[in-house]
Amino acid sequence: MTDTTQQQVFAIIAKQAKIDVATIKPESTLKDLGIESLEAIEVIFDIEEHFNITFPDQQGANFDTDTTQSLVDAVQKALDEKAAEGEGSK
Amino acid sequence: MPTVPQMRRVVITGMGAISPLGVGAETLWQGLREGRSAIGPLRHPDAYRLRVKIAAQVPDSFDPTSNIDERTLIMLDRTSEFALHAAREAIAQSGLDFSQDELGVRTAVVVGTGVGGENTQDEQSKRLYGDNSPRAHPLTIVRVMTNASASHISIAYGLRGPTFAVASACASANHAIIQAAQMIRYGMADVAVTGGTEACLTYGALRSWEAMRVLADDTCRPFSINRRGLVLGEGAGIFVLESMEHAQARGAVILAELAGVGMTADATDIVMPNATGAAAAMTQALNDAGLAPQDVDYINAHGTGTQANDSTETRAIRLAFGSHADRLAVSSTKSMHGHALGASGALELVAVIGALRDGAVPPTANLDKADPACDLDYVPNIGREMPVRAAVSNSFAFGGLNAVLALKRAP
Repeated sequence: MTDTTQQQVFAIIAKQAKIDVATIKPESTLKDLGIESLEAIEVIFDIEEHFNITFPDQQGANFDTDTTQSLVDAVQKALDEKAAEGEGSK
Repeated sequence: MPTVPQMRRVVITGMGAISPLGVGAETLWQGLREGRSAIGPLRHPDAYRLRVKIAAQVPDSFDPTSNIDERTLIMLDRTSEFALHAAREAIAQSGLDFSQDELGVRTAVVVGTGVGGENTQDEQSKRLYGDNSPRAHPLTIVRVMTNASASHISIAYGLRGPTFAVASACASANHAIIQAAQMIRYGMADVAVTGGTEACLTYGALRSWEAMRVLADDTCRPFSINRRGLVLGEGAGIFVLESMEHAQARGAVILAELAGVGMTADATDIVMPNATGAAAAMTQALNDAGLAPQDVDYINAHGTGTQANDSTETRAIRLAFGSHADRLAVSSTKSMHGHALGASGALELVAVIGALRDGAVPPTANLDKADPACDLDYVPNIGREMPVRAAVSNSFAFGGLNAVLALKRAP
């Protein structure tokens, strides 16, 4: 069994925030977890590297005020799009 | 406050620019005054694989060979080409002849740049790491060094006073102009050639900006609620500064007086701006110029078009100007010439000089939806004819560095 997308994303966030992964809830924002500004951009970068995906540029919103679930959803969307393009997943 | 001995007044007698609006300071000023934006599709060999799709670039009609001899040209990165061209224009306008009277010994050169010879750095890195070439071009070092622009201006005109580069990211030009002005004020030089230059739209730099996620994908909309970030630009603005007595003694045409300067650091965050630090720099510039808030008619804002800058700068202006903030015309010309980083304060000084000289404030282009957090008069979309007695020009840099100029109409 490989970890779910959510488990993988939460593990990346936990590492950056230096917190126990069990404390991350889907409704937590990165800001709630103490991840702001450049650190939030770093989390995005770590997620992109891990899944080999590229998030579209943000639509005026801030990653640090998005919930962790919305990040997981964005990853899943990017993975689905990649699979649909026939590139397979990493 | 310590008293300052015999501080001399500083005036501007020449300006030159290479900008996304074209060649020449007047070209830039007329375009800004008319509200013409030079932001367009990114022209770059790697554009097809980049996420960033727009930029404000110097048009291809700029011909570096037009004013620079071949032997000099081979030594120049694009950054220095811009600076040397703009310097030639500024010096020609000033009417100064540096071959006379040992004037060169009393002339300083201070040029701001964020990163220096980025195009050369990028090209040579590609050659070494990408193409596995065993050799770098022998002129790599002299093209890359951040002081190259200042040095080439010095060499071209025999300017032998204090000459160096200043780097403070997006505030580099204003910091450089301030150093030049201070040297004239305190008698270290009678004349200074100063400003800022930047040409860093390389594949590597563009990828790095993408990763920071601060670039707009549509256009630059400062102070508009639908703003989506900054738009990268490039160019150079170079000015001739003189002590007022030196300019008056030779009957020079004075474009404006550089009356006061302010510099502070936020000392808070490496990227998030801080209203207190920015306001303190504005207040310092006003005090230094002997201006009360109500003497000022126009602020050329830093106005990058990022969420963080525009609301913070608005708060800072309110802190520094109090109730007079509501009577100010404030505009961000980055909406038209983009964010030229280390050159931005210099391109914006062209706008400020134009505003003081011609009694016309350039607009903030693309401001189509008011933001409750940005509640000043930003001169949306259409320039305004109005007398401008004094003006302030803001530059705030990553790293929390603030540099502000206060100017008065030519006496």
